[in-house]
Amino acid sequence: MKQEDEMSLNLLFLHGLGCGGDTISMLNAEQPDIVSFFRGVGVKLLWHHTLSVKEGSKVTDLFRDILDGKIQLDILLLEGAVPAERNSHSLGGRSFTRWCMDLANVSEYTVAMGTCASFGGIPAVRGNTTGATGLQFEKEVSGGLLGSDYRSRAGLPVINLPGCPAHPDWVLETLHLIANGKLSETDLNDVNMPLHFYNSLAHHGCPRNEFYEFKSSAREYGQMGCLFEFLGCRGTQCESDCNNRLWLGRTGSCTRGGFPCIACTSKDFPHEGSRFFETELIGDVPKFLPRDVPKAWYIGITGLSKMATPERLKANAVSPHRIHTPKNRKGD
Amino acid sequence: MSRDLIITPYSRVEGDLRIHLSLEDKTVTEARASGVMFRGFEHILRGHHPEDAIVYTPRICGICCISHSVASSLALRAVSEDFSPSPAGEIATNIAHATENVMSHITQFYLYFLPDLLSNRFSSFSMYDEIRKRFTPFEGTSTLQAIRERKKFLEILGYLVGKWPHTLAIQPGGITKSIESSDIYHVQGILKDFTAYIESRLVGMPLRKYLEIDTEERLEESLLNERDTLSDMGLFYMAARELELLELGRGPGRFISGGAYPFQEDGHFFQPGYWDGELEPLDPGNISESITHSFFSDGNEFSSPFEDRSEPSPEKESAYSWAKAPRYRKQVVEVGAIGRQVVSAEPLITDLYGRYGSTVFTRVFARLHEAIILLAAMEEWVSRLDSCADYYVKNKLKDNARGTGITEAARGFLGHWIVVKEGKISNYQVITPTAFNCSPRDHRDRPGPVEQSVTGTVVASENDPVEVDIIIRSYDPCLVCTVH
Repeated sequence: MKQEDEMSLNLLFLHGLGCGGDTISMLNAEQPDIVSFFRGVGVKLLWHHTLSVKEGSKVTDLFRDILDGKIQLDILLLEGAVPAERNSHSLGGRSFTRWCMDLANVSEYTVAMGTCASFGGIPAVRGNTTGATGLQFEKEVSGGLLGSDYRSRAGLPVINLPGCPAHPDWVLETLHLIANGKLSETDLNDVNMPLHFYNSLAHHGCPRNEFYEFKSSAREYGQMGCLFEFLGCRGTQCESDCNNRLWLGRTGSCTRGGFPCIACTSKDFPHEGSRFFETELIGDVPKFLPRDVPKAWYIGITGLSKMATPERLKANAVSPHRIHTPKNRKGD
Repeated sequence: MSRDLIITPYSRVEGDLRIHLSLEDKTVTEARASGVMFRGFEHILRGHHPEDAIVYTPRICGICCISHSVASSLALRAVSEDFSPSPAGEIATNIAHATENVMSHITQFYLYFLPDLLSNRFSSFSMYDEIRKRFTPFEGTSTLQAIRERKKFLEILGYLVGKWPHTLAIQPGGITKSIESSDIYHVQGILKDFTAYIESRLVGMPLRKYLEIDTEERLEESLLNERDTLSDMGLFYMAARELELLELGRGPGRFISGGAYPFQEDGHFFQPGYWDGELEPLDPGNISESITHSFFSDGNEFSSPFEDRSEPSPEKESAYSWAKAPRYRKQVVEVGAIGRQVVSAEPLITDLYGRYGSTVFTRVFARLHEAIILLAAMEEWVSRLDSCADYYVKNKLKDNARGTGITEAARGFLGHWIVVKEGKISNYQVITPTAFNCSPRDHRDRPGPVEQSVTGTVVASENDPVEVDIIIRSYDPCLVCTVH
């Protein structure tokens, strides 16, 4: 941990097999925005692949100074998956993969930013030719690049911040928690995701929830109804707070944009062998049910809900715009 | 004395670029640009359901993902049964796409390109102190404001496509969100705020007044009239003149544009075309990729994207890049905002191009100019959004078909080629702007545009060739896209 008289934490970013989207997303941070964050939270950026001026041998010299103990590395953030060493490019005579391992071994905290760095994500799907893996997991299998036993110097496993991309708050608030000594292993779930952000479901806060309750489902995109029954939505299975936290200045989310949650924070994202835009059914029942609802109960509740659905919801569910407003029941 | 210099990691570009320079007497005699990070999207997509392209391909790149959404949705439209996509969805898609591209132009200018002007090499510039004051990373007044305004501008995407990067709202038949009147109200408000920022900080005059400028003389008169109150664009223009960036880093003199912002009623806002001194219609059939110096082998050294079955070959001896070398009519072509606006005969850019060619100055200036044109256009497009319209029409995919989806990303031409067999993707090929611009040598050993532009450059310091950096960053390379 840091001495009290040291004011700032040294932060280093690395970019592996990724799209740069986690960084681009991070720039959208607010309350505080990225500028205020770096001024106020007491972190010092040693190097970032797209934002820093430094390049070439000056960067690999910096990496060497860190390994030699001349510069303290407090937080290592990786964006993107890591290729097998034989497929890795070389930076200043050492493979990227080797730099990741060596730097992680001297870092106080190691953070995987996004699904690729956490679990391998898209580069690690079947048939990938690069041997891609996440830092400490490859899909649901513990291990990854650094091994199950890896602990950063502060004693924590790799802190996984999956999401495609990760929400800017997930990244910056994690740095804030670390900087204030407020993140411990008990704050992490079984795959080392901080419960601060991943202890609820993307479904929570979805404006289509009334449609969900009454199983009033959209049959096509552009309609107002729930996307779970027919259009592939995994919000009831996805650990994230997307629909409460919201994106882009708190203006939107996937389901608010009319498309299904595809559970991009999941270990097995992108869910190979499954469809994204269509719910797979076994009989009439979706193959992937809400996380903790038993199948029999799901079937029972669904049948009951459908009998009780107000006409307003039935009509609105399959309409692009709200055509009926709530009215009192007859007789009230 | 000759020497070699290798620069990697190369910062302030998207993805991983390696630059290999041969220098003799402070002159670049040879340059090799390599994409070094391979993920294998084209292999991964084989065997997948065609719709998966809409999920996977935006994830090639976090900065131009909507361009990939547009290209993949157009490719899927091309392999669908005949149908009429939603005109309203098309307008919303174009606004979202323009939002991403304007954001990209502003990001490139402030975060990626300008920091190179802080180099001591340029300290003779009469307004060097002002450059430092405004453009120092994470400190400069203009840079900080750009970061904040950029983020607010992107809130347009929250209202139109829910989330960004990596929205799934853009589909072959329109967008998944039905736009309500509140969405339109907020998008208009964001656009007004951002326009006010651009007018006060970047341009220093009302957009309407700026858009009347059609020659360099008028540009000079408008941008440089008050030295004490120079806008950021004025400061850049002045730096370009004093630091001899007007003619630095000339490109190959041939462009293609895929065409951008199609409207069912009035066609493309930016026209597709091929330009080599004269304009011709674009024929995507003329695009082929050479892999002679790329880490791929399929026995066919120069093939059309539909036929490309290339397999990774990391040990290949003649190779130095994971990028292929796309060519148009087997010629080296440049792509980007400069080419897009020359092809579309945009008056001011055509005037500047006629004087200087494609150079550091005209490339970067064309991006700023385009951001301003787009902002003005977006205002009109947003006024066409209708809160009662249907924004989505469902398409039906064919089981066996091939098609292309072609558009323009901020950095230039973007094409997706899909072959569907028995309901699955049998081949998917992506050719991105930086694949053209940062391509390695081809089968005839002709260097790509960046390699050509850098060769012959005289540098002040062989250890820190900032003149080369500035040329490369004027192209704004995106290696995550290029290699994918």
